[in-house]
Amino acid sequence: MSGGSDHVLDHPPEDGLGRLVWRLDRILRWPEDALNFIAALAIMFLMLMGVVQIVAGLRWLFNAPIFGYIDAIELSMPILAILGIAYCQRMGVHIRMDILIQNFSGRLLWSVETFAATCTFVIMIFMCYFAWNFFNDAFVIGDSTTDAELPTWPSKILVPIAFGLLVLRAFVQILGASRLALNPKLAPVGVVVQKDIAEQAQEEIREAMAGEQREGPG
Amino acid sequence: MGPLFGIGYNDPVLVGIICLCLLFGLALLGVRVAFAAAIAGFVGMVELIGFGPGASQVGTIPYAKTSLYALSVLPPFILIGFLAFHAGMTTKLFAAARAWIGWLPGGLAVATVMAQAGFAAVSGASTATAAVFSRVAIPEMLKNGYDRKLAAGVVAAGGTLATLIPPSAILVIYALIVEESVGALLLAGFLPGIVSALIYGAIIVLWARAHPEAGPAVKGYTWGDRLRSMPGVLPIFAVAFIIISAIYGGWATPTEAGALGAFVVLLVAITQGMRFRGLKDALMETARLTVMIFTLIWGIFIFVTFLNYSLVPQTFSEWLAGLPYNPYAVLFCILLGYAILGMFMDAIGMLLVTLPIFYPAVMALNGGEGVTREESAFGLTFEECSIWFGIIVVKMAEVCLITPPIGLNCFVVNGVRPDIPVMDVFRGIAIFFVADVLAIAALVFFPEIVLFLPDLMR
Repeated sequence: MSGGSDHVLDHPPEDGLGRLVWRLDRILRWPEDALNFIAALAIMFLMLMGVVQIVAGLRWLFNAPIFGYIDAIELSMPILAILGIAYCQRMGVHIRMDILIQNFSGRLLWSVETFAATCTFVIMIFMCYFAWNFFNDAFVIGDSTTDAELPTWPSKILVPIAFGLLVLRAFVQILGASRLALNPKLAPVGVVVQKDIAEQAQEEIREAMAGEQREGPG
Repeated sequence: MGPLFGIGYNDPVLVGIICLCLLFGLALLGVRVAFAAAIAGFVGMVELIGFGPGASQVGTIPYAKTSLYALSVLPPFILIGFLAFHAGMTTKLFAAARAWIGWLPGGLAVATVMAQAGFAAVSGASTATAAVFSRVAIPEMLKNGYDRKLAAGVVAAGGTLATLIPPSAILVIYALIVEESVGALLLAGFLPGIVSALIYGAIIVLWARAHPEAGPAVKGYTWGDRLRSMPGVLPIFAVAFIIISAIYGGWATPTEAGALGAFVVLLVAITQGMRFRGLKDALMETARLTVMIFTLIWGIFIFVTFLNYSLVPQTFSEWLAGLPYNPYAVLFCILLGYAILGMFMDAIGMLLVTLPIFYPAVMALNGGEGVTREESAFGLTFEECSIWFGIIVVKMAEVCLITPPIGLNCFVVNGVRPDIPVMDVFRGIAIFFVADVLAIAALVFFPEIVLFLPDLMR
């Protein structure tokens, strides 16, 4: 199960660590939202490209499929598949098993959350470094796609950028969770507040109903 | 850097088992499944082949596993689902189904199932389908004197049809993991989805006959009503036709067909009054879900790459295939394992974590690669068995959406209708659980239901 939500406080909390986490969280929100919005635009673009490709490829009409269509789609996949990764971490979208931790609360819960965020932080530092090397190799040798010979590095550099942002987000979550582990009574900032199954159901309903508001039942 | 645990390649299977435990341990402690898999896979790779070679393999996986054309089908499929809610299709589908089959015993409940099956042609999301139909169909059923347990149960159960009938994201993911044709899997889901809907319908009719007060027939619809209800459901037929005919006839790739389908639904949504804000929300939601799925894919692939070095899947397969039991009994145990695991895990996560081990094992059980129908355990070739098993496990994963303790669909219905206690929804689900067991048995013993369409394509 994956339900969660990010917590937005309008004003920074009173404690010093809380203020720091609140501020860092704010700084990261803008690029995270922007990258996810770019991903959303890319999805729109993918849809339109598909339609154009079908129309342009019609044998009796134009018979001229877009040159390098498949290469272009493959190169743009990291935009939609990876750029939003830090945004999803903030929103608690990435799935996890909460069978055990749903029974935790207070200090124990936030200690475990600190541990989980630290694990994410450490592995993503490695992944970010590897992805950077992968990009760097492509850049140095001038790697390109086989058919249309498009350069691959502009696509490959997106991975370390997105992962780098996730490293920062995980760092904020470590601070946010360890602050609550020290004092569980504080207002949560910079952490994902896990929802129980009924709240997750409400979330699903809100998402599904967004477009159906105008219609009455039946 | 030497082996971390000092085992290295002396006992790869032991390393595999240690890292499997690491994966589950981390996941239980709240590490997101994708990152837990990446950690366990990376640690295992370092242990088996060292830091340098391990790093160079692991480092390429996130990019290599996302920049695949075959996977570009996922965002349009997900987008169709989100847009469909804006296109007001559910109400019209239900109205049409009601006019056509409301006269049956339990007719409104049957109409709900059929409308949900129809909506599945534009949506792959079980819980969202259950949510919307709770609002559309439950009030109508209650107004006509239906038992509320039946009304709630049918909505929760019918939602699960979404994942078998194309477009289905989860079948695309299965196809990717087992390296099977995406098109074949999508086509294969179609008939099992219809069969499930028919079994649901039949069970409702039988139930309503035995308990006429629970689901009275609704009469009085004219042929005029029926025909007038049809234009509202045309877009759904259009999308279903585009996707199935494209895959079947090969006039467009699944990605292109998905894109065209999404475009059609978008146009309908715009005529229904969707504005920029609604489109932006649908796109942002699609982006979120896309990233979630892809992160899981590359995380799990890091682990799978390691697993293949560790020889765990091979060892497990050999052990399973060598068991002196009836293969159907072994398959039954595997499916039972899925049912139990599905109580605690999300469907996509469960498939991704389990398939790297269970898929090769089931294939080996059938007789391995290149086996003929006559020699195989299930009477299927390797390719057929691979498609067949996919449909069965996805169906299993769906059944878990309606079983306690965390049948999310049931909680969704209760969330839309707080006046119906969740225990009543679970009680109402009981007959559909029986229907699902029958459906799975039908799929196991009559693989033709699964394989008929994909075989036509070859």
